Amino acid sequence: MNRFLNILGQSLQAVRAFKLRTSFCLVSVALGIGSITIIVAATEGAYKKAFDIVALFGPDSVLVLSGSDEARAIGQRDKTLTLDDVKAVEEAFPQAYMVIPMLAAPNTNVAYRQNKHQTFVVGSTADYSRGWTWPVVQGSDLNEEDVRGGRNVALLGVQVVRNLFVDEEPVGKYILVKGIPVQVVGVLTERGMTPTGANMDDRIVMPITTVMRKLLNERRYVSVFRVRFTDQSRVSEYQEELRLFLRKRHNIPDGAPDDFRIISPREVILFLVALTGSLVLFLGLVGCISLVVAGFVLANLFLLSVKERTREIGVRRAVGASRGDIRLQFLGEAVVITTLGGLAGFFIGVLGSRVLTTVAEFPIHFSWKAFAAGVVLSWLVGIGFGLKPAAAASNLNPIEAIRG
Amino acid sequence: MPLCVLEDIRKTYQLGEQEVEVLKGIDLLVEEGEFVAIMGPSGSGKTTLMNIIGCLDVPSSGRYVLVGRDVTLMTDDDLSTYRNEHIGFVFQSFFLLPYATVLENVLLPTLYVERSKWADTRKRAMEILSLVGLGDRARFKPGQLSGGQQQRVALARALVNDPDLVLADEPTGQLDSVTAAEIMGLLAEMNGRGKTVALITHDQSIAAHAGRILHIKDGLIVDGAGPQSR
Repeated sequence: MNRFLNILGQSLQAVRAFKLRTSFCLVSVALGIGSITIIVAATEGAYKKAFDIVALFGPDSVLVLSGSDEARAIGQRDKTLTLDDVKAVEEAFPQAYMVIPMLAAPNTNVAYRQNKHQTFVVGSTADYSRGWTWPVVQGSDLNEEDVRGGRNVALLGVQVVRNLFVDEEPVGKYILVKGIPVQVVGVLTERGMTPTGANMDDRIVMPITTVMRKLLNERRYVSVFRVRFTDQSRVSEYQEELRLFLRKRHNIPDGAPDDFRIISPREVILFLVALTGSLVLFLGLVGCISLVVAGFVLANLFLLSVKERTREIGVRRAVGASRGDIRLQFLGEAVVITTLGGLAGFFIGVLGSRVLTTVAEFPIHFSWKAFAAGVVLSWLVGIGFGLKPAAAASNLNPIEAIRG
Repeated sequence: MPLCVLEDIRKTYQLGEQEVEVLKGIDLLVEEGEFVAIMGPSGSGKTTLMNIIGCLDVPSSGRYVLVGRDVTLMTDDDLSTYRNEHIGFVFQSFFLLPYATVLENVLLPTLYVERSKWADTRKRAMEILSLVGLGDRARFKPGQLSGGQQQRVALARALVNDPDLVLADEPTGQLDSVTAAEIMGLLAEMNGRGKTVALITHDQSIAAHAGRILHIKDGLIVDGAGPQSR
């Protein structure tokens, strides 16, 4: 044990002594480990974000959007879902404890006194807060009477409150929505940005009846509805049943595409992972390539170093170092350098991801996993590419080595 | 008691197609506490003989017993351990590690020891350094020392593990005559304290410090093969 530590001490000393070799190897390893650290953190961040969003979205729910995929792809949104569909689903699916339709009026002008703002108006049935697991912090949620009577009431998102009300309490005040006076009954908690960069808090929620009649002049169609099931584990099964049910109601012939789209928590996760996937792939490729390059840089510089230090190796052999001692020393030098490179790479990764998060709103989550991945990989590079030069050093014949 | 016993040692090298016999049957006995000089012109095989005595090389045939064990039967690892325990080397060009301090250079042989003979190896190394007159240079780098001082460091390194045999290969070859005399004086002093010293040189005046002079020529010892025959 003592001898082992002595030899590692020699490795450390050589790492300090041959500064040029150390810095070249260290930098090249650090770059590779840095990008791999970012990848691990980004992948973790993406999954974490995805699961956070699913938790908000409601893991027991699916979203039904009107219009086919094809139509949406070219920016159209066909109106295909009706209030009757919503009612029919409510009746046909007893396993669904909640079916709430929603209608959107984007870019609607709102005003309070001299403050003006343009926002996204959502038409909803009662219990918006419960349906979307989105708590009301001030005032109260929309109730059944509000919806049945088509009352002029609204829940405000935090962003709207910020833009319209400076110092006043919003609840109880009247605002103008498209010129119609509407009373504020509640304020929603802050949700922040979606991964695609939309501000979730920039919205107003009003009874769906009010939005249809007074804002959109719409009698039948809704843009989306949400279904929450009691049994969370069977959501994908229900999703398929729901799809077949709606196809039948819309009289879609076999082989023709759906004229609606159902989004489940699983799809939310897939979407988010795909969003970060391309960057992860790119960085992964860069990371792997630079690690391999780093490995070759290391192997090359070490082979040169062995050549340069032939005499040192000869002297060490003469005073009693075995082949194994020499191999251990050179391997130790390689691993010490790559470990330092790995640590430096981790810090590069942390800094790099700071830049990524500020520039691209990229979800990054650092944990011990990213750190461990960096350290283990740097060891692998050190051992993998240090083995050959270390073997070359240990196989030197001491007589030849001393002769120089 | 004999320290080294060499019997009919032969060494052949393969040089391309040709087989060259460098040592052609060396018989040699070195007693404990002797100071032996091996002299011979270049190409006589004295360096090869030195390497074999120092356990850096093994003979092609013959028997070599060092401190009671036949070295020719040992594995490479055993030879390393044996060198570490029984032999101290002094080379012509010192061969100190340029990036290590004087003290670290002296400590080098103690790193490859499973269990140290000394409770405090640093203290031991400092004592040896004082013995060669460099107690105040422990923290210097070899590059900051003169040639003679560097060779003293090398001598301290050779002595730190208290070997049975000090092997010096042209230890004064790169030194001026005054410094050379100092180094030879130190070797003689070590010999006076009971250390066996074997010296390789082609310089008659250097060899004169030794108690016995062997002449080697064309791979054979021409005189002085046994302690009695001086």
